[in-house]
Amino acid sequence: MTKLFRKSIFLVLAIFLIASLAVACGAPAAEAPPEEEQPAAEEEQPAEEEEAAGPASLDFVVWSYGIETIQDNIANFQAANPECEINLQDYSWLDYHDTMVGRFAAGDPPPLLYGSDHWLQEWGSAGWLGSISDNFPQVLEYDDELAPYALQGMTYEDAVYGLSYYADTIDFVYNEEHLQEAGFDSPPESWQDLWDMSVALKEQGITEYPFILAFSQEEGASIEAMISMIYGRHEGSGALFDENNNPTFNSEGSAAYEAIEWLREAYEAELFDPASLTTAELDQVASMQAGAHTFTILPQYNMAELNRTDSGDYAGSFKIALMPGNSHATVGYVRFYAMTPEAENMGEAAMACAWKFLEYFGGKTDGEYKVVKRWAVENGLGFAQLPLFDDPDVQEAFGQWGDVDVIAAQAELARAKEGLTPWFGTWDVFTRAEIHKAILGQQSTMDTLNNMADYWNELASQ
Amino acid sequence: MTQQPAATKPKHNWSYISHKIYPYLSILPVAVVIALFAIYPIIHAVRMSFYQYLLTRPNVHPFVGLGNFINVVTSYYFKESIQITGIYTIATVTGVILYGLGVALLMNTKIRLSTPLKIVILLPWALPAVVSGLLWKWILNADFGILNGILYALGLIDNYIPFLADPTLAKISLIMAHIWKEGPLVAIFFLAGLQLIPDELYEAAKIDGGSGWKTFRHVTLPLLRPVFLVVIVYETMTAILTFDTIYVMTGGGPANSTALISWFAYAEIFKSLNLGNGIALAIIIALITLVLIILYLRVLRTEESTVSG
Repeated sequence: MTKLFRKSIFLVLAIFLIASLAVACGAPAAEAPPEEEQPAAEEEQPAEEEEAAGPASLDFVVWSYGIETIQDNIANFQAANPECEINLQDYSWLDYHDTMVGRFAAGDPPPLLYGSDHWLQEWGSAGWLGSISDNFPQVLEYDDELAPYALQGMTYEDAVYGLSYYADTIDFVYNEEHLQEAGFDSPPESWQDLWDMSVALKEQGITEYPFILAFSQEEGASIEAMISMIYGRHEGSGALFDENNNPTFNSEGSAAYEAIEWLREAYEAELFDPASLTTAELDQVASMQAGAHTFTILPQYNMAELNRTDSGDYAGSFKIALMPGNSHATVGYVRFYAMTPEAENMGEAAMACAWKFLEYFGGKTDGEYKVVKRWAVENGLGFAQLPLFDDPDVQEAFGQWGDVDVIAAQAELARAKEGLTPWFGTWDVFTRAEIHKAILGQQSTMDTLNNMADYWNELASQ
Repeated sequence: MTQQPAATKPKHNWSYISHKIYPYLSILPVAVVIALFAIYPIIHAVRMSFYQYLLTRPNVHPFVGLGNFINVVTSYYFKESIQITGIYTIATVTGVILYGLGVALLMNTKIRLSTPLKIVILLPWALPAVVSGLLWKWILNADFGILNGILYALGLIDNYIPFLADPTLAKISLIMAHIWKEGPLVAIFFLAGLQLIPDELYEAAKIDGGSGWKTFRHVTLPLLRPVFLVVIVYETMTAILTFDTIYVMTGGGPANSTALISWFAYAEIFKSLNLGNGIALAIIIALITLVLIILYLRVLRTEESTVSG
């Protein structure tokens, strides 16, 4: 009996071992034949049977910001829509892109999530996001009320993929108290002004390094600060790419050349904090609040935190000025609520909840942009929904940390990032190190720009 | 003449076969587990490395032969990151051995407070690499870091030093953090080796007039040779494959100055979304590590046989 048992076990295990190795050596399962591209949605499994009872349960993935507010918004949404259940998950902003890519690639997409304009082309082309306008054409009714740069940032191949969570500008910010101490009564209008003021601040011992940026190699928003410095120097479109997405920045005297040269020279002159190359946004805000620097460039939503009453000696001293340069233009960007094909796979009830959720969070409820307005009033987040600029509550809230007229003027000059393509994210990661090399003097600015253009062309050819 | 009963012969054969096969049967469960969780993924990964796997094109995987390997070897980062990895590996392995050996020798002596000292020294090893990285990131922070604070308070510096923003200082900082994290484990290895050396050998060396250094050179070091082998092999692998500490402390920057080759395996997959290139690079890293380990084994075993012969 024992021997028979051993023999059986041996046979079963041997078959299992051989089968597993055969599977390993064989063609990967569930792959389409080479050269035969299919829309990702078609590859998905058929819709699951909807549950007869109970609310539709949808996962919602965000980056870690304002979690308590999000939870409260979800609670309010669920109270108004008891047939929908939302499960919140969050990841750090710095890890968000990579974590979501991992989940998409592993076949574990959440039905609802945050998206961003600089990932939309990448995620859209991979079929990881679901088109909202194709599934819910009524979303197009919001177009007329959206800032153009925000709508552009949520559109891929003529389809809308998001409802705006917040939309903001990249702003030039200064410490008014420092400037007054140094004898200046107005902020810099040009990059030469900024240089001269920085020299004065340094010489007077007010700040060791007057200018700081969040230029850590892992900081996803660094490209937006860089482009805003380029836009501020450039009139009209074509600052980085032409209408066919060919690079236009790699020439001596271009706005990009001037922007990187300015940073390199400021680094050499010790006007630009060398720690910028390892600084992320949170550290940038903290060091400004501590009075370690006078000038910076950051997303506008940080203004509420910068000027928070109990944030330190300089609370209330931080002001926005138009981006230095000829055009004073800057980057406008959008982060948005998005859905994936997973919502569709979950069935009609889930899809109905998905739309209700998207509209509740990024659209109107009872004729009002309730959630968007809440973020603006309580957290100082910018918005793409233009009618909110006329809202008295929003005006009052924004007035506590900034000059509403300057904010509106900068918003009018904001433009979407040029070159938003499926390979923009990959190129962005490459450019961060290249710009570092130029600032550190490891290579010339022209070499940096040429490398950036060559890599762009290489990615485009793939 | 006796005749064997016909029925007993097969029984004897089965017993014989069973006896021969049983050892293989015994190891089969383990073999299956290894096949499933080690061999299968490796074979699958090797196979994938010959196909184009762009995560943004999930349904198109044309066969590209050695294309992924050529892409990686001719990429903008390969040569530079191999050099950085080489420097990092040599520095960390050397540092970890010196630190670990020193701590082990200290812990092997009968000194007061040896127990709390052991706990303090071994603590970094108990920390996850991410926590260790975050700890060092804050210690070295250019604006608020405690190291800058101490140096400034002691009057050793006039301005705070951006340790992680300077390419050279960032490399040194990472190496120090790695040694701090890995040293305790190596100290345990060496301590175990030291405690296996019989006291009689030291007494004999003392009677023969051997000084402290000579005893260490001719008694301790040769007898620690097997530990050295384990430590060098393990620490070389650890250094080459370092990822989490770098991810947390510098993100590979500034200017890719701390980007080891393993960092780019991650970047190829999660930043460039090119799984094929990422796997090809991972295979290259594995081969480099394998070659180094074989070299170590040969060199140290040759020396061992020379000493014993």
